[in-house]
Amino acid sequence: MGRDAETTSSSGAERAVYEDASADRRVRIAECLERAQAGEIGALNEVVTELNPLLWHAARAEGLTVDDAVDVVQTAWLELLRRLDEIRSPQALTAWLVTTVRRGAWRSTRRRRREQAEATEVLAAVPDPSPPVDDRLDLEEQHRVLWRHVLSLSERCRALLRVVAMVDRPDYGEVSVALEMPHGSIGPTRARCLAKLRAALLADPAWSPG
Amino acid sequence: MTDSQDLNDVDAAILKQLRATYARVDPPPADLDMRVQFAIELENIDIEVARLSEDLIVGSGARGTERMRTITFDSESVTIMISIIERDGQVRIDGWLAPGGGRRVELRMAGTSATTRGASRTVTTEETGRFVFDGVDHGLAQLVVHPRADTGVDSATAVVTPPLML
Repeated sequence: MGRDAETTSSSGAERAVYEDASADRRVRIAECLERAQAGEIGALNEVVTELNPLLWHAARAEGLTVDDAVDVVQTAWLELLRRLDEIRSPQALTAWLVTTVRRGAWRSTRRRRREQAEATEVLAAVPDPSPPVDDRLDLEEQHRVLWRHVLSLSERCRALLRVVAMVDRPDYGEVSVALEMPHGSIGPTRARCLAKLRAALLADPAWSPG
Repeated sequence: MTDSQDLNDVDAAILKQLRATYARVDPPPADLDMRVQFAIELENIDIEVARLSEDLIVGSGARGTERMRTITFDSESVTIMISIIERDGQVRIDGWLAPGGGRRVELRMAGTSATTRGASRTVTTEETGRFVFDGVDHGLAQLVVHPRADTGVDSATAVVTPPLML
Protein backbone atom coordinates (compact mmCIF):
# COMPACT_ATOMS: atom_id res chain seq x y z
CA MET A 1 0.00 0.00 0.00
CA GLY A 2 1.40 3.38 -0.97
CA ARG A 3 1.58 6.22 1.46
CA ASP A 4 0.52 9.69 0.45
CA ALA A 5 3.68 11.72 0.75
CA GLU A 6 1.91 15.01 0.20
CA THR A 7 -0.13 14.93 3.38
CA THR A 8 2.61 15.83 5.82
CA SER A 9 4.51 19.06 5.99
CA SER A 10 6.62 18.98 9.15
CA SER A 11 10.20 17.80 8.88
CA GLY A 12 12.88 15.74 10.54
CA ALA A 13 12.32 13.51 13.54
CA GLU A 14 8.97 15.04 14.39
CA ARG A 15 7.59 14.03 11.06
CA ALA A 16 4.82 11.54 10.51
CA VAL A 17 5.53 8.07 11.78
CA TYR A 18 2.07 6.61 11.45
CA GLU A 19 -1.22 7.41 9.83
CA ASP A 20 -3.28 6.39 12.83
CA ALA A 21 -5.95 9.07 12.81
CA SER A 22 -3.63 10.53 15.35
CA ALA A 23 -5.22 13.95 15.74
CA ASP A 24 -8.40 12.21 16.78
CA ARG A 25 -6.57 10.07 19.23
CA ARG A 26 -4.82 13.05 20.72
CA VAL A 27 -8.14 14.80 21.35
CA ARG A 28 -9.61 11.68 22.91
CA ILE A 29 -6.69 11.18 25.29
CA ALA A 30 -6.71 14.85 26.24
CA GLU A 31 -10.40 14.51 27.16
CA CYS A 32 -9.79 11.37 29.21
CA LEU A 33 -6.92 13.09 31.01
CA GLU A 34 -9.09 16.08 31.88
CA ARG A 35 -11.89 13.88 33.17
CA ALA A 36 -9.42 11.90 35.28
CA GLN A 37 -7.98 15.12 36.68
CA ALA A 38 -11.51 16.17 37.60
CA GLY A 39 -11.80 13.02 39.70
CA GLU A 40 -13.17 10.41 37.30
CA ILE A 41 -10.38 7.86 37.48
CA GLY A 42 -12.28 5.41 35.27
CA ALA A 43 -11.59 7.78 32.38
CA LEU A 44 -8.00 6.56 32.48
CA ASN A 45 -9.04 3.06 31.43
CA GLU A 46 -9.07 4.04 27.78
CA VAL A 47 -5.67 5.70 28.12
CA VAL A 48 -4.31 2.53 29.72
CA THR A 49 -5.36 0.53 26.66
CA GLU A 50 -3.79 3.11 24.33
CA LEU A 51 -0.43 3.41 26.09
CA ASN A 52 0.21 -0.05 27.54
CA PRO A 53 1.79 -1.51 24.38
CA LEU A 54 4.37 1.30 24.36
CA LEU A 55 5.05 0.92 28.09
CA TRP A 56 5.31 -2.84 27.78
CA HIS A 57 7.92 -2.60 25.06
CA ALA A 58 9.78 0.12 26.95
CA ALA A 59 10.06 -2.26 29.92
CA ARG A 60 10.99 -5.32 27.84
CA ALA A 61 13.54 -3.33 25.86
CA GLU A 62 15.40 -2.89 29.17
CA GLY A 63 15.71 -6.67 29.38
CA LEU A 64 13.05 -7.34 32.03
CA THR A 65 11.29 -10.68 32.36
CA VAL A 66 7.56 -10.86 31.63
CA ASP A 67 6.67 -10.76 35.34
CA ASP A 68 8.98 -7.85 36.09
CA ALA A 69 7.78 -5.89 33.07
CA VAL A 70 4.17 -6.33 34.20
CA ASP A 71 5.09 -5.16 37.70
CA VAL A 72 6.95 -2.10 36.45
CA VAL A 73 4.09 -1.05 34.14
CA GLN A 74 1.52 -1.48 36.94
CA THR A 75 3.67 0.49 39.34
CA ALA A 76 4.16 3.36 36.89
CA TRP A 77 0.40 3.79 36.51
CA LEU A 78 -0.05 3.78 40.28
CA GLU A 79 2.67 6.37 40.65
CA LEU A 80 0.89 8.51 38.09
CA LEU A 81 -2.19 8.89 40.30
CA ARG A 82 -0.51 11.20 42.74
CA ARG A 83 1.10 13.25 39.97
CA LEU A 84 -1.97 13.45 37.78
CA ASP A 85 -2.56 17.14 38.42
CA GLU A 86 0.93 18.05 37.23
CA ILE A 87 0.49 16.50 33.77
CA ARG A 88 -0.33 19.18 31.22
CA SER A 89 -0.86 17.32 27.94
CA PRO A 90 -1.20 13.83 26.42
CA GLN A 91 2.39 14.17 25.17
CA ALA A 92 3.64 15.00 28.64
CA LEU A 93 1.63 12.05 30.00
CA THR A 94 3.22 9.62 27.55
CA ALA A 95 6.72 10.94 28.16
CA TRP A 96 6.24 10.87 31.94
CA LEU A 97 5.04 7.27 31.88
CA VAL A 98 7.86 6.13 29.59
CA THR A 99 10.42 7.79 31.84
CA THR A 100 8.85 6.25 34.95
CA VAL A 101 8.77 2.78 33.37
CA ARG A 102 12.44 3.03 32.42
CA ARG A 103 13.46 4.12 35.92
CA GLY A 104 11.34 1.28 37.31
CA ALA A 105 13.07 -1.13 34.94
CA TRP A 106 16.53 -0.09 36.13
CA ARG A 107 15.38 -0.48 39.75
CA SER A 108 13.93 -3.90 38.94
CA THR A 109 17.19 -5.02 37.32
CA ARG A 110 19.14 -4.00 40.44
CA ARG A 111 16.65 -5.88 42.62
CA ARG A 112 17.05 -9.08 40.57
CA ARG A 113 20.83 -8.89 40.86
CA ARG A 114 20.56 -8.47 44.61
CA GLU A 115 18.13 -11.36 44.92
CA GLN A 116 20.35 -13.64 42.91
CA ALA A 117 23.34 -12.73 45.05
CA GLU A 118 21.30 -13.64 48.13
CA ALA A 119 19.84 -16.76 46.61
CA THR A 120 21.98 -19.42 48.30
CA GLU A 121 19.02 -20.95 50.14
CA VAL A 122 16.49 -19.87 47.64
CA LEU A 123 15.50 -22.03 44.74
CA ALA A 124 13.28 -20.10 42.44
CA ALA A 125 14.59 -16.57 42.44
CA VAL A 126 15.84 -17.00 38.90
CA PRO A 127 13.37 -15.51 36.45
CA ASP A 128 12.62 -16.66 32.95
CA PRO A 129 15.31 -15.65 30.47
CA SER A 130 15.37 -12.38 28.57
CA PRO A 131 13.27 -11.78 25.46
CA PRO A 132 13.90 -14.10 22.54
CA VAL A 133 16.69 -12.77 20.38
CA ASP A 134 17.39 -15.81 18.27
CA ASP A 135 15.95 -16.63 14.89
CA ARG A 136 12.21 -16.96 15.05
CA LEU A 137 11.40 -19.60 12.48
CA ASP A 138 7.73 -19.50 13.37
CA LEU A 139 7.38 -15.97 12.04
CA GLU A 140 5.45 -15.19 8.90
CA GLU A 141 7.56 -14.20 5.92
CA GLN A 142 6.85 -10.46 6.15
CA HIS A 143 8.05 -10.37 9.76
CA ARG A 144 10.99 -12.72 9.28
CA VAL A 145 12.97 -10.58 6.86
CA LEU A 146 12.72 -7.52 9.08
CA TRP A 147 13.43 -9.53 12.24
CA ARG A 148 16.65 -10.94 10.80
CA HIS A 149 17.97 -7.44 10.24
CA VAL A 150 16.76 -6.22 13.63
CA LEU A 151 18.82 -8.98 15.23
CA SER A 152 21.96 -7.76 13.50
CA LEU A 153 21.67 -4.36 15.18
CA SER A 154 23.46 -3.53 18.41
CA GLU A 155 21.49 -4.18 21.58
CA ARG A 156 21.16 -0.47 22.22
CA CYS A 157 19.81 0.24 18.73
CA ARG A 158 17.39 -2.64 19.03
CA ALA A 159 16.10 -1.38 22.36
CA LEU A 160 15.69 2.18 21.12
CA LEU A 161 13.96 1.36 17.84
CA ARG A 162 11.67 -1.09 19.57
CA VAL A 163 10.28 1.67 21.73
CA VAL A 164 10.33 4.36 19.04
CA ALA A 165 8.26 2.11 16.78
CA MET A 166 5.52 1.99 19.43
CA VAL A 167 5.25 5.75 19.81
CA ASP A 168 2.37 7.47 18.08
CA ARG A 169 3.07 10.52 16.01
CA PRO A 170 1.87 13.30 18.34
CA ASP A 171 4.00 11.91 21.16
CA TYR A 172 7.09 11.31 19.08
CA GLY A 173 9.07 14.44 19.95
CA GLU A 174 8.65 14.34 23.71
CA VAL A 175 9.08 10.60 24.03
CA SER A 176 12.21 10.65 21.87
CA VAL A 177 13.74 13.16 24.26
CA ALA A 178 12.81 10.90 27.19
CA LEU A 179 14.36 7.91 25.45
CA GLU A 180 17.72 9.56 24.83
CA MET A 181 18.12 10.07 28.57
CA PRO A 182 20.51 9.63 30.24
CA HIS A 183 22.53 9.55 27.05
CA GLY A 184 21.22 12.89 25.78
CA SER A 185 24.68 14.30 25.22
CA ILE A 186 25.58 11.82 22.51
CA GLY A 187 22.96 13.08 20.10
CA PRO A 188 20.16 11.45 18.17
CA THR A 189 21.11 7.80 18.52
CA ARG A 190 17.74 6.76 17.22
CA ALA A 191 18.36 8.47 13.87
CA ARG A 192 21.64 6.59 13.45
CA CYS A 193 20.04 3.29 14.45
CA LEU A 194 17.19 3.80 12.03
CA ALA A 195 19.63 4.73 9.25
CA LYS A 196 21.54 1.50 9.86
CA LEU A 197 18.40 -0.62 9.70
CA ARG A 198 17.19 1.25 6.62
CA ALA A 199 20.46 0.61 4.77
CA ALA A 200 20.35 -3.08 5.59
CA LEU A 201 16.74 -3.45 4.48
CA LEU A 202 17.16 -1.49 1.25
CA ALA A 203 20.09 -3.76 0.34
CA ASP A 204 17.97 -6.87 0.88
CA PRO A 205 15.93 -7.87 -2.18
CA ALA A 206 13.66 -9.95 0.06
CA TRP A 207 12.42 -6.80 1.81
CA SER A 208 9.76 -4.44 0.58
CA PRO A 209 8.37 -1.34 2.32
CA GLY A 210 4.91 -2.90 2.02
CA MET B 1 9.09 15.00 -3.84
CA THR B 2 12.70 15.28 -2.72
CA ASP B 3 15.09 12.46 -1.89
CA SER B 4 14.97 13.17 1.81
CA GLN B 5 11.18 12.86 1.80
CA ASP B 6 11.61 9.55 0.05
CA LEU B 7 13.82 8.32 2.83
CA ASN B 8 11.38 9.55 5.44
CA ASP B 9 8.63 7.55 3.80
CA VAL B 10 10.83 4.48 3.95
CA ASP B 11 11.56 5.18 7.63
CA ALA B 12 7.85 5.46 8.33
CA ALA B 13 7.27 2.13 6.57
CA ILE B 14 10.11 0.52 8.53
CA LEU B 15 8.81 1.74 11.87
CA LYS B 16 5.32 0.58 11.02
CA GLN B 17 6.62 -2.89 10.15
CA LEU B 18 8.77 -2.92 13.25
CA ARG B 19 5.73 -2.18 15.37
CA ALA B 20 3.79 -5.04 13.78
CA THR B 21 6.69 -7.43 14.16
CA TYR B 22 7.27 -6.64 17.84
CA ALA B 23 3.54 -6.97 18.45
CA ARG B 24 3.87 -10.46 16.98
CA VAL B 25 7.18 -11.46 18.59
CA ASP B 26 6.58 -10.20 22.12
CA PRO B 27 3.00 -9.00 22.71
CA PRO B 28 1.98 -7.64 26.12
CA PRO B 29 0.23 -10.25 28.29
CA ALA B 30 -3.49 -10.40 27.53
CA ASP B 31 -4.36 -9.33 31.06
CA LEU B 32 -2.01 -6.34 31.31
CA ASP B 33 -4.71 -3.70 30.71
CA MET B 34 -7.08 -5.37 33.15
CA ARG B 35 -4.37 -5.54 35.81
CA VAL B 36 -3.56 -1.86 35.50
CA GLN B 37 -7.23 -0.87 35.43
CA PHE B 38 -7.82 -2.90 38.58
CA ALA B 39 -4.78 -1.34 40.25
CA ILE B 40 -5.88 2.26 39.73
CA GLU B 41 -9.56 1.75 40.46
CA LEU B 42 -9.19 3.24 43.94
CA GLU B 43 -11.54 5.34 46.03
CA ASN B 44 -8.87 7.84 46.89
CA ILE B 45 -5.95 8.53 44.59
CA ASP B 46 -3.86 10.47 47.08
CA ILE B 47 -1.70 7.42 47.60
CA GLU B 48 1.81 6.40 48.33
CA VAL B 49 3.00 3.52 46.16
CA ALA B 50 4.69 0.61 47.89
CA ARG B 51 7.09 -0.74 45.28
CA LEU B 52 8.15 -4.33 45.02
CA SER B 53 11.58 -4.56 46.60
CA GLU B 54 12.06 -8.31 47.02
CA ASP B 55 10.26 -11.35 45.68
CA LEU B 56 11.59 -14.77 46.64
CA ILE B 57 10.33 -18.31 46.56
CA VAL B 58 11.60 -20.54 49.32
CA GLY B 59 11.31 -24.33 49.35
CA SER B 60 10.65 -26.64 46.43
CA GLY B 61 7.20 -27.89 47.34
CA ALA B 62 8.55 -31.39 46.75
CA ARG B 63 7.92 -34.24 49.23
CA GLY B 64 5.54 -32.28 51.36
CA THR B 65 7.80 -29.32 52.07
CA GLU B 66 5.91 -26.09 51.91
CA ARG B 67 6.62 -23.74 49.08
CA MET B 68 6.49 -20.18 50.30
CA ARG B 69 6.71 -16.93 48.44
CA THR B 70 7.91 -13.91 50.39
CA ILE B 71 7.42 -10.45 48.99
CA THR B 72 8.57 -7.12 50.38
CA PHE B 73 7.16 -3.78 49.34
CA ASP B 74 8.72 -0.47 50.31
CA SER B 75 7.13 2.97 50.35
CA GLU B 76 8.28 6.28 51.78
CA SER B 77 6.54 5.66 55.09
CA VAL B 78 6.20 1.89 55.54
CA THR B 79 7.57 -1.52 54.67
CA ILE B 80 5.12 -4.32 53.99
CA MET B 81 6.35 -7.89 54.05
CA ILE B 82 4.11 -10.80 53.21
CA SER B 83 4.58 -14.53 52.91
CA ILE B 84 2.16 -16.53 50.84
CA ILE B 85 1.57 -20.21 51.45
CA GLU B 86 -0.58 -22.48 49.34
CA ARG B 87 -3.09 -24.41 51.44
CA ASP B 88 -5.97 -26.63 50.29
CA GLY B 89 -6.41 -24.87 46.99
CA GLN B 90 -6.38 -21.47 48.63
CA VAL B 91 -3.66 -19.25 50.03
CA ARG B 92 -2.78 -17.91 53.43
CA ILE B 93 -1.06 -14.56 53.71
CA ASP B 94 1.04 -13.72 56.76
CA GLY B 95 2.02 -10.11 56.76
CA TRP B 96 4.04 -7.59 58.72
CA LEU B 97 3.77 -3.86 58.52
CA ALA B 98 6.56 -1.66 59.85
CA PRO B 99 5.99 0.67 61.51
CA GLY B 100 2.48 -0.40 62.00
CA GLY B 101 0.36 -1.39 65.01
CA GLY B 102 -3.37 -0.74 64.69
CA ARG B 103 -3.47 0.03 60.98
CA ARG B 104 -6.28 -1.17 58.74
CA VAL B 105 -4.98 -3.36 55.91
CA GLU B 106 -7.29 -4.17 53.01
CA LEU B 107 -6.86 -7.04 50.58
CA ARG B 108 -8.57 -5.99 47.35
CA MET B 109 -9.37 -8.90 45.05
CA ALA B 110 -10.13 -8.50 41.37
CA GLY B 111 -13.37 -10.02 40.09
CA THR B 112 -13.21 -13.09 37.90
CA SER B 113 -14.62 -11.18 34.94
CA ALA B 114 -14.80 -7.56 33.85
CA THR B 115 -18.31 -7.19 35.25
CA THR B 116 -18.04 -8.93 38.60
CA ARG B 117 -16.52 -7.00 41.43
CA GLY B 118 -14.06 -8.94 43.53
CA ALA B 119 -14.30 -9.43 47.24
CA SER B 120 -12.42 -7.19 49.59
CA ARG B 121 -11.35 -7.99 53.14
CA THR B 122 -9.95 -5.74 55.81
CA VAL B 123 -8.05 -6.59 58.98
CA THR B 124 -6.38 -4.49 61.64
CA THR B 125 -2.72 -5.07 62.38
CA GLU B 126 -1.64 -6.26 65.80
CA GLU B 127 0.60 -4.18 68.04
CA THR B 128 3.63 -5.76 66.35
CA GLY B 129 2.37 -4.88 62.88
CA ARG B 130 1.38 -8.47 62.16
CA PHE B 131 -1.68 -9.32 60.05
CA VAL B 132 -3.16 -12.46 58.50
CA PHE B 133 -5.52 -13.26 55.64
CA ASP B 134 -6.45 -16.94 55.60
CA GLY B 135 -8.54 -18.89 53.12
CA VAL B 136 -7.92 -16.47 50.27
CA ASP B 137 -8.85 -17.50 46.74
CA HIS B 138 -6.30 -17.46 43.96
CA GLY B 139 -6.40 -14.43 41.72
CA LEU B 140 -5.27 -10.89 41.32
CA ALA B 141 -4.95 -8.97 44.58
CA GLN B 142 -3.69 -5.66 45.90
CA LEU B 143 -2.91 -4.50 49.43
CA VAL B 144 -4.09 -1.13 50.69
CA VAL B 145 -2.85 0.17 54.04
CA HIS B 146 -5.41 2.76 55.07
CA PRO B 147 -4.54 6.02 56.78
CA ARG B 148 -4.98 6.13 60.51
CA ALA B 149 -8.29 7.55 61.61
CA ASP B 150 -6.50 10.23 63.61
CA THR B 151 -4.43 11.16 60.51
CA GLY B 152 -1.03 11.66 62.05
CA VAL B 153 1.27 13.59 59.76
CA ASP B 154 3.18 10.54 58.56
CA SER B 155 0.18 8.35 57.84
CA ALA B 156 -2.45 10.58 56.28
CA THR B 157 -2.29 8.87 52.90
CA ALA B 158 -3.09 5.30 52.00
CA VAL B 159 -0.22 3.05 50.94
CA VAL B 160 -0.96 0.84 47.94
CA THR B 161 0.94 -2.08 46.40
CA PRO B 162 0.86 -3.01 42.73
CA PRO B 163 -1.41 -5.99 42.05
CA LEU B 164 0.06 -9.43 42.46
CA MET B 165 -1.19 -12.79 41.29
CA LEU B 166 -1.91 -15.05 44.26
